[in-house]
Amino acid sequence: MPSYKLTYFNGRGRAEVSRLIFAVAGEKFEDVRYEMDQWPAHKAEMPLGQIPVLEVDGVKLPQSAAIARFLAKQFHLAGKDNFEQAKVDAVVDTIDDSFKGFVPTRFEKDEAKKEELTKKYFGEELPKHLQNLETLGKLYGNGGHFFVGNQLTWADLLFYTFAQAWIGVEADCLNNFSWLKKNRAEVEKQPKIAEYLKNRPQTQF
Amino acid sequence: MSTYKLYYFNVRGRGEVARLIFAAADQKYEDIRYEREEWVSHKSEMPLGQMPVLEYNGVKLPQSAAINRFLANQFHLAGKDNFDQAKVDAVVDTINDMISKYRPIRMEQDEAKQKELTKTFLADELPKHLQNLEGLGKLYGSGGSFFVGNNLTWADLYFYDIAQHILELDENIFNNYPWLKENRQQVEKQPKIAEYLKNRPKTSH
Repeated sequence: MPSYKLTYFNGRGRAEVSRLIFAVAGEKFEDVRYEMDQWPAHKAEMPLGQIPVLEVDGVKLPQSAAIARFLAKQFHLAGKDNFEQAKVDAVVDTIDDSFKGFVPTRFEKDEAKKEELTKKYFGEELPKHLQNLETLGKLYGNGGHFFVGNQLTWADLLFYTFAQAWIGVEADCLNNFSWLKKNRAEVEKQPKIAEYLKNRPQTQF
Repeated sequence: MSTYKLYYFNVRGRGEVARLIFAAADQKYEDIRYEREEWVSHKSEMPLGQMPVLEYNGVKLPQSAAINRFLANQFHLAGKDNFDQAKVDAVVDTINDMISKYRPIRMEQDEAKQKELTKTFLADELPKHLQNLEGLGKLYGSGGSFFVGNNLTWADLYFYDIAQHILELDENIFNNYPWLKENRQQVEKQPKIAEYLKNRPKTSH
């Protein structure tokens, strides 16, 4: 049995998809969370000076997507064969494309500019990506509510957690996307996920 | 017999890594290249209205990273087990972090501004990414010249391809990064790659 240690800030951010994977799989792991002022002392310990980092039997792995995909494959949440895993990866890449434009809207310091960027992102940019995600769900989902192959994969978990960030800013952003809404509802209903969501730390991000 | 079709523009761009993987694996495929004017009439045939797209046994897959990883897995160029594959993914993600800083510069229309941005990129941004990549190569490369596990993987092919664009900015850049320089030379020496590089179409980017 490998030992797993996940190190990140005390927030959901780019680590939450991996925590969801551990929860669904019912797997134990050390959930190390640094507050902002604790992090600088540990930065030099990490391969790229960044977190999240997953340590597996003492070997460190950076990069949130590489970590999540590895864990998904370990616990059979990545897709049932190579081509299905590729479909899952394509959905994940499209979710990443959706999220790219969101980050600058959060870090903009000028209030007026921030409001403008946020309006543009939610009004023009995000809807296009959400449309693409619905297209892929209908193309690869075998008629079901999960993105690929009628089974929960890490693509569903990643969409679930990133969409939470969007909904936190713009509560109605999925109103025109019923397939995506149903997808998130299906994820929330999974018993191990419902349990995890009920008990996880409530954090700012 | 599986069939592979790759749809992209008549350039290297985001399609070339897939072509390098096919070459390294000595795998036949249909290398479809659309000129700009042709592409307009084919856009709606693609799941996300974008290329590259891989058609595998008649099913279309978008997103270059998903395509590349799928092909690498098909042809044993992805890493020998789940954890090695994760290390390969981490290297690929780190290369992507580097490119995401470079792309805005390429898109800049104003020549004077582009020159300025390039100068800043080379002096302030690029070195830390190259240092990170050398760091990962030494951490995961088992003492050899390839990024992971002393075997050629698609991480080496990806770095080889991206580095060609960086060299156009500064042809001496790798003189300060001997590990990366040696890595590229090892890739070029692979007989099937050397053959492919000699014969491939010469395109602007």
